[in-house]
Amino acid sequence: MSYQRPIPLKNHDNHPYWDAADCHELSLQKCECCGEYAHPPGPSCAKCGSTELSWENLGSDIKGTVYSYVVSYRPFLPGFQDEIPHIIAIIELEKAPSVRIIGNILECRPEAVNIGMPVQMVWVDITEDRALPQWKAVL
Amino acid sequence: MGNISNRYAIVGVGESERSKNSGRSPLHLALDAARAAIADAGISAKEIDGFMSYHENDSCTSHQLATYLGVRPKYVKDITGGGSSTEMLIADAIGLIEAGMLNTVLIYRSMNGRSGVRMGGGGWDMNLLQNAIDGGSFIIPYGAGGPGQWFGLFATRHMHETGITKEHLGHVCVSFYEHAQRNPKAFFNGKPLTMEEYLNTPDLVYPFNKHDFCLESDEANAIIVTSAERAKDCKSRPVYIMGISGRQCHPHTHYWSDLSQVASDYVAPEVFKMAGVKPEDIQVASIYDCYSWVVLRQLEAYGFAPRGEVGDFVADGHLKMGGRLPSNTAGGMLSEGYTHGMNNVLEIVRQIRHEYQGTDRQVENCEIGICTGWAGPDMAGAMILKN
Ligand SMILES: [Zn+2]
Repeated sequence: MSYQRPIPLKNHDNHPYWDAADCHELSLQKCECCGEYAHPPGPSCAKCGSTELSWENLGSDIKGTVYSYVVSYRPFLPGFQDEIPHIIAIIELEKAPSVRIIGNILECRPEAVNIGMPVQMVWVDITEDRALPQWKAVL
Repeated sequence: MGNISNRYAIVGVGESERSKNSGRSPLHLALDAARAAIADAGISAKEIDGFMSYHENDSCTSHQLATYLGVRPKYVKDITGGGSSTEMLIADAIGLIEAGMLNTVLIYRSMNGRSGVRMGGGGWDMNLLQNAIDGGSFIIPYGAGGPGQWFGLFATRHMHETGITKEHLGHVCVSFYEHAQRNPKAFFNGKPLTMEEYLNTPDLVYPFNKHDFCLESDEANAIIVTSAERAKDCKSRPVYIMGISGRQCHPHTHYWSDLSQVASDYVAPEVFKMAGVKPEDIQVASIYDCYSWVVLRQLEAYGFAPRGEVGDFVADGHLKMGGRLPSNTAGGMLSEGYTHGMNNVLEIVRQIRHEYQGTDRQVENCEIGICTGWAGPDMAGAMILKN
């Protein structure tokens, strides 16, 4: 069966992030002017307004910790009805703590998730040419 | 602009019928609310020269409303906006009156929030949603499509940091449902909530169960703002605006990296400074309550209890009648109805006028109150009012 959930839309500002994800890598937008990462990426730096932006590839070994989470027991969007309950978490990156990435923690019971829990980024191939960054607990 | 403190007043409030299925258009509801507010102020519709509304593409226009009141105003304005828009529009109205452009402004919110466009979502095109929301492609593919999930992320972290428990969230719900028992027009009138029942209700989105979510209703509310001088000629008892403030803080409206701050943290010192009062001077409150936790976070932001002690504050019954800060005394959006914040504005105006005098709904001798708005963690507004 084809993938039923929303597929990340690429646009002018964010496509390097999703292009890297499709290759199972994490790429982050960074401001050359103030040195801050910009996530989600945009047309200029949300901190200082500079347009001197570049992309930094952090590779495929991405670790982080749970900064916060919710557990959805009801689908709020189409395609998630078979994924109940699912955990939506904000993950603080080990290599770039100011960057916090929202994703699902897979294969995790709701009672098992907690703030500070170490997680690892994984990529789920959702279509022939698209992959979605997700998270799994580090055991 | 000089100091506008106490130089402007809310002189009229009104609402349409509240239902789950109005069977009428937002224009009809808005007309009912506007006529009620105009009658409350005791003025003629033609004295209103400015009409303003906020909406989520779910309302009628200010132009239409004015037209069918038989008025050709100088100024109409409709903004898309969330739950702090009432305060923002009142400030706009004051600015326009101060500038000499207008005399009297009617501000309304009209929505078929249950039978029409539902705030909690449903029926959206997923690609449109990803584009419409700033950073949408970073949240929608993960199923984070509703405010319960977005604000829930803030709540889980805040509860972890400050020791707030599910039971504390429950105290907000139980307190407001208790108020609703004194309000025959509240949806949950006749349906009080016990803590046991609250704690036994399964979560929709941890940390929230259905009681932590606001209601949905078909309803319109309207208020009328004018200068203190003109207010003297109105039939109603004026409620003066001591201070008003609005503020944005996070860089994105739906993608939050920093859960440690909310816009209310910045609004609070400004609104108290302008009003020249302190949190302990406030005797009655309307605290924006789209979710129970949002009330707790604002109690901290506005200094009604220190960080870490907000849970005890609500557990001690301070949001109830006889407490230190009787709040959302009509039941709030958790148990009265939902007009995107404006029903809470109507209630505090009526409290400060002592309109419930002689009944158990009146907060005895209240002179000063606060009304807060919360469009999200990123945007807030508040006003301090007195009689
Ligand atoms: Zn920068």
